[in-house]
Amino acid sequence: MDAITGLMNGFSVALQPQNLFWAFVGTFMGTAIGVLPGIGPALTIALLLPVTVYIEPTAAFIMFAGILYGAMYGGSTTSILLNTPGESGSMMTALEGNKMARQGRGAAALCTAAIGSFVAGTIGTLGITFLAPPIAELAFIFKPQDYFALMLLAFLSVSVVMGTSKVRGFIALFLGLSLGVVGIDKQTGLQRLTFGVPDLMDGVEMTVVLVSLFAVGETLYVASRFGFQKPNLNPLSGGIWMTKEDWKRSWKPWLRGTGFGFPIGALPAGGAEIPTFLSYTVERNLTKHPEEFGHGAIEGVAGPEAANNAAAAGVLVPLLTLGLPTSATAAILLAAFQNYGLQPGPLLFINSADLVWGLIASLYVGNLMLLILNLPLAGLWVRLLFIPRPYLYAGILIFSLVGIWGVSNSWVDLAMMAGVGVLGYMMRVYDFPIAPVLIGLILGPMAEVQMRRALAVGQGDPTVFVSTPLSAVLIAVSVLILIVPAMLHWRRTRKIDMPDETAGV
Amino acid sequence: MTERPYWIAAGTVGWGAIVFWKAAELPQFDQYAHVGPGFMPSAVGLGLVVLGLLLALQIYRGVPFEEQGAEDVSEDHKVNYMALGLAAAASALPMLTMKPLGFVITCTGCFVLVAAAFKSRRWHLDLVLGFGFSLLCWWLFRKLGVQLGGLLPMMGV
Repeated sequence: MDAITGLMNGFSVALQPQNLFWAFVGTFMGTAIGVLPGIGPALTIALLLPVTVYIEPTAAFIMFAGILYGAMYGGSTTSILLNTPGESGSMMTALEGNKMARQGRGAAALCTAAIGSFVAGTIGTLGITFLAPPIAELAFIFKPQDYFALMLLAFLSVSVVMGTSKVRGFIALFLGLSLGVVGIDKQTGLQRLTFGVPDLMDGVEMTVVLVSLFAVGETLYVASRFGFQKPNLNPLSGGIWMTKEDWKRSWKPWLRGTGFGFPIGALPAGGAEIPTFLSYTVERNLTKHPEEFGHGAIEGVAGPEAANNAAAAGVLVPLLTLGLPTSATAAILLAAFQNYGLQPGPLLFINSADLVWGLIASLYVGNLMLLILNLPLAGLWVRLLFIPRPYLYAGILIFSLVGIWGVSNSWVDLAMMAGVGVLGYMMRVYDFPIAPVLIGLILGPMAEVQMRRALAVGQGDPTVFVSTPLSAVLIAVSVLILIVPAMLHWRRTRKIDMPDETAGV
Repeated sequence: MTERPYWIAAGTVGWGAIVFWKAAELPQFDQYAHVGPGFMPSAVGLGLVVLGLLLALQIYRGVPFEEQGAEDVSEDHKVNYMALGLAAAASALPMLTMKPLGFVITCTGCFVLVAAAFKSRRWHLDLVLGFGFSLLCWWLFRKLGVQLGGLLPMMGV
């Protein structure tokens, strides 16, 4: 099925009243959680997973897509009005956007962020529409070694890119990998690392780990260092929406931001930090008003915000076509697919065409919904920040218990919640990135299957891993990712050391 | 912060050693796939041990550990151990009470403990709010088909 027919079919699914309703629920919840502290899109989808038993898959994924996009919008609203970036992707927005709000130009900042997000989201969705089918076609000729190399690359880039320290990134990844091997080995039926506990035979539940790391870990961390300042709301002094000048200064950053965000989001390295940062730097260099940067330049809001949203759309490309998650949110979406017995990848476009195209079409719908919903309602969303913190965090813990206890009513899961929750606390205190744990947990077992398949085909010859052009290139790139930064670091430290030595002499 | 948390490195090495030791009991290679069920866990365990040692080396060299930022966190990152203990108690409570006392009572307890950790002084109000909220969640998610167990399992309800 080509992209246009697929998309038309998708719209016929997405525009059904009940699916429009789910898209609305998703975007509404997504925006609310984007505004609230302590919960992000990944956690929300994880908490909603048990509900999927009673909702059909298409409706569920339309809702999840709404949550994904909505959370991005919510994040930008609080960054601009309150200077509290909820996630790393909206740090750059807060930089300029909050300055604009302080000058009474909050409405214009919100406007350029919202329209930029809409433009980027729509172009990104167009990218998914036309890129995903050919990639899925291509994926049919992928051999196990190609998949293995691709996953290896995803592991490496996730641990290297996220967080400040590579060693800590890798420890987080290997922790996830070690949790991923728990359970019955599917090829031989032998128990691995179950320590004789029957509840562990099915493996460690992704939802339990994710909810414990994010919700319980965050609750412990914030409770121990709680310092609540009443949000200092910059008044939306109405009226001053985007002027003609604002439009003129915004449209190019929107497009450039999308240009950074979508491809980088679609790469196995993924992530929203790099494209938003790149976009900010480029706009700063290209602007005709360099004096305004740091004091509320509209380009500095328009570009990064577009990049942020385009990256979120880009992440869906490897997820849908190859079954490769590159962010925490994508990992939990993959778990949701598996809950329904669906495996994202090339076959999904054939076996569940209605679902995939309905999901893609609902991204267009959701984007438009967000634009209409959010611009007039920004003031209302911000009110959410005044929820008393004791009740907010207590509520988050109860929802977590629904998510964890609802999975299988297992005492082991509750013990894991306390244990992994403490781990999540430690990881925040000592600055370990959290996403690699989840990627390792969900992608580790898949990588192992591909590795064993490749070796079985290659009759045990390890050179099978570089036997196709693609696998050879990907392995080479992985090695480079590992070696180049180390080399650069080594050269830099040498350069710094040398003057010290001469000074010593 | 010039803290030297060697115990994290020790924990990483320790967990890696446990994984490696358990994996060593499994066949590492087999006839058909050439790589047996023990291979991957062995590799992961070994990797963790190596990474733990690398972390120890970094700690020895004085690598800084900066706490992650989060919303609602005080700017000086001053730790209130009382609040941390209350929140940790809330996350451990379900292990004790979920089976005998059921979802609603457990969640009410968690709600009161977390609210107390966040310096809520009106614990009577917290109790009522927590109970109402837990009951609502229990009822709503049950309607949606999520199995959350009985209202009071000890009494067989």
